Amino acid sequence: MQPYELSLTEAAEQIRSRQLSPVELVDSCLARLDAVEPSISAFATVTADRARAAATAAERDIAGGDYRGPLHGIPVGIKDLYDVEGVPCTSSSRVRAGRVPTADSAVVERLRRAGMVLLGNTHTHEFAYGAITPTTRNPWNTDRIPGGSSGGSGAAVAAGVCTVAMGTDTAGSIRIPSALCGTVGLKPTYGRVSRRGITPLSWSLDHAGPLTRDVSDAALVLAATAGHDRADPASLDVPVPDYLATLDHGIDGLRVGVPSNFYFDQVSPEVDRAVRAALAVLEGAGARLREVTIPYADQILSAEWAIMLPEASAYHQLTVRSSAELYQPDVRGLLEAGELVLATDYIKALRVRTLMQHAWETMFQDIDILVTPGMPVAAPLAGAETHQWPDGTTEDVTTMLVRLTSPTDLTGLPTLAIPVGSDADGMPLGMQITGRPFDEQTVLRAGQAYQTASDTVGQIARVT
Amino acid sequence: MPQTPRTFDDRTLEHACRTARLELEPDRRANLGALMEAVYGLIDAMDVVDLAETPPATAFDPRWE
Repeated sequence: MQPYELSLTEAAEQIRSRQLSPVELVDSCLARLDAVEPSISAFATVTADRARAAATAAERDIAGGDYRGPLHGIPVGIKDLYDVEGVPCTSSSRVRAGRVPTADSAVVERLRRAGMVLLGNTHTHEFAYGAITPTTRNPWNTDRIPGGSSGGSGAAVAAGVCTVAMGTDTAGSIRIPSALCGTVGLKPTYGRVSRRGITPLSWSLDHAGPLTRDVSDAALVLAATAGHDRADPASLDVPVPDYLATLDHGIDGLRVGVPSNFYFDQVSPEVDRAVRAALAVLEGAGARLREVTIPYADQILSAEWAIMLPEASAYHQLTVRSSAELYQPDVRGLLEAGELVLATDYIKALRVRTLMQHAWETMFQDIDILVTPGMPVAAPLAGAETHQWPDGTTEDVTTMLVRLTSPTDLTGLPTLAIPVGSDADGMPLGMQITGRPFDEQTVLRAGQAYQTASDTVGQIARVT
Repeated sequence: MPQTPRTFDDRTLEHACRTARLELEPDRRANLGALMEAVYGLIDAMDVVDLAETPPATAFDPRWE
C-alpha cells in the first residue's frame, strides 16, 4: 500500500507515532497527482514546493514534540474559490486571471493552524456557478463529469490525490461531486463555517465544507474549521461540540425520516435501489424508519433560483458589463438573467424560505435525521445537456443535478453526502443524511454507522 | 396574482435591459429571452403560496463588534 492510499485516520496515526513522515505522505500524494492529473485535470494550481516545505516543517515540529493533532501533516486540496495567501485564485475564470490573494481565507487559516499541508487549488465550475465543472473529469470514468461546482475537489479525493479537499455549496456544490465521484461530502449548517475570504456566489445560500474519503475525515475537518467569525455576517456564535466523541455511539433508536414525495419521485431505478438498501442497513443498525412528506416541494427550485440569480448578478454587476466576453457562455447567461429578476420576486422567495424553514422544523418533530437520494442519477456523460427519463420526459442536466440538493441549502440544514454503491457501469451512487440545525453530530454519527455496516465508503478510483 | 405567464419578446427584453443598464446585442437578447421565460416559469410557482404576514428570511446585526 502506498501512503496516498491510507485513510486520514491511518495516516494520522502513523504520523503521530512517527512511522510515516509528512514528507513521505506529501511526496506520495504529489506522485499520485502527477499520475492522474493528465486524465482528470482536478487542479487549477499545484503548489508542490510549498507543500513539501510545509511537510518538512510539520515533520520537524512533530519530531520536536509539537504535534497539533490528527490533521497535522495531512495534505488537503483547496477549491479555487478560497483565498490562499500568495497562490493564484481565479475561481477558474478568465475574469480573475492573475489574481493572487494577499491573505488566507478563514478556513485556510484554520486548516494551517491544524497543521494541514496545502497541495494546491482545485478546479471549480467558473465562480461556482454550475454543477458540471467542465475543466475536470470523473476519475471513475473520464468520459463522465465529476459534477460541480467543487468538481476538482471531488475528483482529487476520489482519485486518491488527497483524503480531504474543501468545497462550497450553494445549490449542492459539495454534495453533487461527492455523489458523482463517490466521496463523502459535508455541507455544515449555514453559519457554522466562516466564508471569509471565499468568493461568493450567493451570500444567503453559500456554505463551506469538506469533501473527504470517509466520515471520520469529515468530522475532523469540521472540528478544525467550525466556529464563529464576525467577519462573515452569516456566521453564528454557536458552541462547537466534540464531533469525534460521539461518532461511534451508534444509531439505536434513531428516528429516520424517509420522504414519500419529491426525493424519490424522479430518480434512476439504480439510485432508488441503492438508497433503499442503505436505509435497510441503517434500520439493521437500530434506526427506526418513518415516512415524511417534504413541504413546499413545488417551490424549492423556485426559491433557490429566485435568490441565487439576483445575488450572483449583484456580485458580478460591474464585471459582467466591463468584461462580459471573459465569462464562459453559461455563466454569462445566468448573470445576465439575474439582472432581470424583480426585487419583489427575490423578496417573495425569501418569504417562502421562511415558511419552508418553519415547515421543515415541523417535519423534524418526529424524526432525528432525513435520509434521501444524493443525486437522481450517476455521473452524466461530459457534454450532455439533457437527461432522458424512461417516461419519455427530458430534464436539463443542471436542473437535475441541483434538484435534490437545493432543499437543504434553502433550509440551511447540515447534510452529509455518502456513497452507497455503484451502478452497472461502476459509477458511484450517493445518499444524503440531513439533520437539525447545528446537529452535525447526529448526521455524522448516522453516516459513521452506515459506513461501519457497509463497504461502500472509502474507495479510490483507479483512473484509466 | 395574475396567472399570465411572463413572456420576453425582443421589445420587452430591450426595455428590461435598458432599465438594468445592461447593453446586449440582439443575438444575446434572443438567448436571454428563452432563459428568462424558464426562470420566471419557476419563480411563478411561488404565486400559489399564501405568504400572509411572513417576513423574509434575512437578518441584519446592528452591533459594531
